[in-house]
Amino acid sequence: MDLSLVLNTSMLLTLVTLSAPIILPLLSMNLKNSPTTITSTIKTSFFISLIPMSIYIHSGMESITSLWEWKFIMNFKIPISLKMDFYSLTFFPIALFVSWSILQFASWYMASDPHMMKFFSYLLFFLMAMLILIVANNLFILFIGWEGVGIMSFLLISWWHGRAEANTAALQAVLYNRVGDVGLIICMAWLASYMNTWEIQQISSPTPMPTLPLLGLILAATGKSAQFGLHPWLPAAMEGPTPVSALLHSSTMVVAGIFLLIRTHPMFNTNPTALTLCLCLGALSTLFAATCALTQNDIKKIIAFSTSSQLGLMMVTIGLNLPQLAFLHISTHAFFKAMLFLCSGSIIHSLNGEQDIRKMGGLQKMLPTTTSCLTIGNLALMGTPFLAGFYSKDAIIENLNTSYLNTWALLLTLLATSFTAVYTLRMTLLVQTGYIRIPPLAPINENNPAVLSPITRLALGSITAGFLITSYIIPTKTPPMTMPLYIKITALIVTALGIILALELSKMAQTLTMPKQNHFSNFSVSLGYFNPLTHRLNVTKTLSGGQNIASHLIDLSWYKLLGPEGLATLQLKASKTATTFHTGLIKAYLGSFALSILIILMSTYTNN
Amino acid sequence: MTSLHLSFYSAFTLSGLGLAFHRTHLISALLCLESMMLSMYVALAMWPIQTHTPSFNMIPILMLAFSACEAGTGLALLVASARTHGSDHLHNFNLLQC
Repeated sequence: MDLSLVLNTSMLLTLVTLSAPIILPLLSMNLKNSPTTITSTIKTSFFISLIPMSIYIHSGMESITSLWEWKFIMNFKIPISLKMDFYSLTFFPIALFVSWSILQFASWYMASDPHMMKFFSYLLFFLMAMLILIVANNLFILFIGWEGVGIMSFLLISWWHGRAEANTAALQAVLYNRVGDVGLIICMAWLASYMNTWEIQQISSPTPMPTLPLLGLILAATGKSAQFGLHPWLPAAMEGPTPVSALLHSSTMVVAGIFLLIRTHPMFNTNPTALTLCLCLGALSTLFAATCALTQNDIKKIIAFSTSSQLGLMMVTIGLNLPQLAFLHISTHAFFKAMLFLCSGSIIHSLNGEQDIRKMGGLQKMLPTTTSCLTIGNLALMGTPFLAGFYSKDAIIENLNTSYLNTWALLLTLLATSFTAVYTLRMTLLVQTGYIRIPPLAPINENNPAVLSPITRLALGSITAGFLITSYIIPTKTPPMTMPLYIKITALIVTALGIILALELSKMAQTLTMPKQNHFSNFSVSLGYFNPLTHRLNVTKTLSGGQNIASHLIDLSWYKLLGPEGLATLQLKASKTATTFHTGLIKAYLGSFALSILIILMSTYTNN
Repeated sequence: MTSLHLSFYSAFTLSGLGLAFHRTHLISALLCLESMMLSMYVALAMWPIQTHTPSFNMIPILMLAFSACEAGTGLALLVASARTHGSDHLHNFNLLQC
């Protein structure tokens, strides 16, 4: 049995199965899609995608498939080449599993929506674009997937487009992603000029790689994965429905930037500047997002900032030159983050649209399964030993502690880890425990298999995924094996300190009056003053500077004032000054002109 | 002097005298300017033919371009005077000191 044929065929079959609900209704008049058909399509795709993953685990076989080639210029070939290596073979089942659960949940969550079919087809398009991005081997196909997920993100965030905040949030997402796309295009242009290829395998340079394409890639990852500097779109993207937040902005789309850096990591190996930049940028993002999450009151925004913080942690791992560990964190993070979003969606619907955690409380007894899974997800996020998050997060912290790197990045990351514990525990305590703060008549109901089975399935994944993935893969870089005890349990100590702090603060805060404003809480609540500063100041300066240069300077000054109109004013000034000398006797002037011409002619004629 | 040369010398002189001695209207001065331009055009066009230097054939065209500008300026003055004084009579121009 030719295993390579089976591998390639089943991967392509996965993609073809996903495109069936898009193509088949176009071919036949009678076929109409429904949410159940799309959900079962994705379920089928998931089971098919388990085949190539098992082949990889069994025999370590990877493959690259080259389809039709676009002969753009004679020398520069752009084939449709798909790479099925460890990253794509492992991410396909994970992404499809998470999407299957989310779509099953969405059939309950969006049941009262008039355009539910359109919602599901948007999600399907998004999933196709994401999978194309994952399986791409050259930057051209990756760019197609990149743009596809950006467009679908825009359409899905502004799903409730009657709401002004949703439209602004979608615009923010598109604009910030566009700024990142410029970085990706810089890298592609540089590669096309200097390496004459867009295939990732063919990129190699004997001298250390120049920093410019790597800066472009880091800019692209900053835009797509909401690192500090291009981050405001991610919390604003919570305006979209909860299934959108669960699929796009926690598990799949936002990891596309990190995935790009993982795919192109051979380019980063020889350039320590780029690696240090990744490290510091990631550390800054993770701490900033964790600080902002401390004072949020909207449950979805807390989870969004937690996503942003974990993305910063993935960037830190890339900066440590450990792409496989970053991928492991992506995989485990997908499970528990999607589950956290689905639990929050169930809570929101049960409380009739209430998203403020100050108006929730005591839900542990009213929504037992949902809140239990919320607890499991929060524990996994904090890195509780032997849940899913532990295998990736603890390994990252161990590698951080035993590497030769920037101390500041290390300290920021450790601080962010403890903040993670604080805000997670705050969310858990305020939502699930304590006195009930919800209005009396709330339609609390979680007895629907469409709600319970995705959440419990993802809970199972959150518990076991880390263990399963680390058991079956072989690490490409040696993990650190020996270290002193206090370094080994650093992550645990820091998390435990965060938990103790949060418990103490919650006990204090129950009898607290409204605190006066102080600088730290103001900084955290206003998200670091970043949004008003950049959205107003930066834009005003840029636009008015542009108007000054283009319109005022070039058009009005140079072309008009120094040209015709300036000449006209000069003439006017001259004639106004000389006017007093004129007497205006035209006939006398012209008559004397003719007379003098006559005299000159006669004098020259007589001289001749 | 051949009859050809006499034709445009006399056209030029007569138009020049007409420019100097018009009585009432500005537009007659402008017309005389145009006829001066015309005679100059004929003269410039004859010159490369007479001296057998075809590379100077372009010069009358250049002159036409500049004379078009000048005619435009003259007409603009005409229109300005018509707007302010209501006619193009020359005795209006005594009132330039305004």
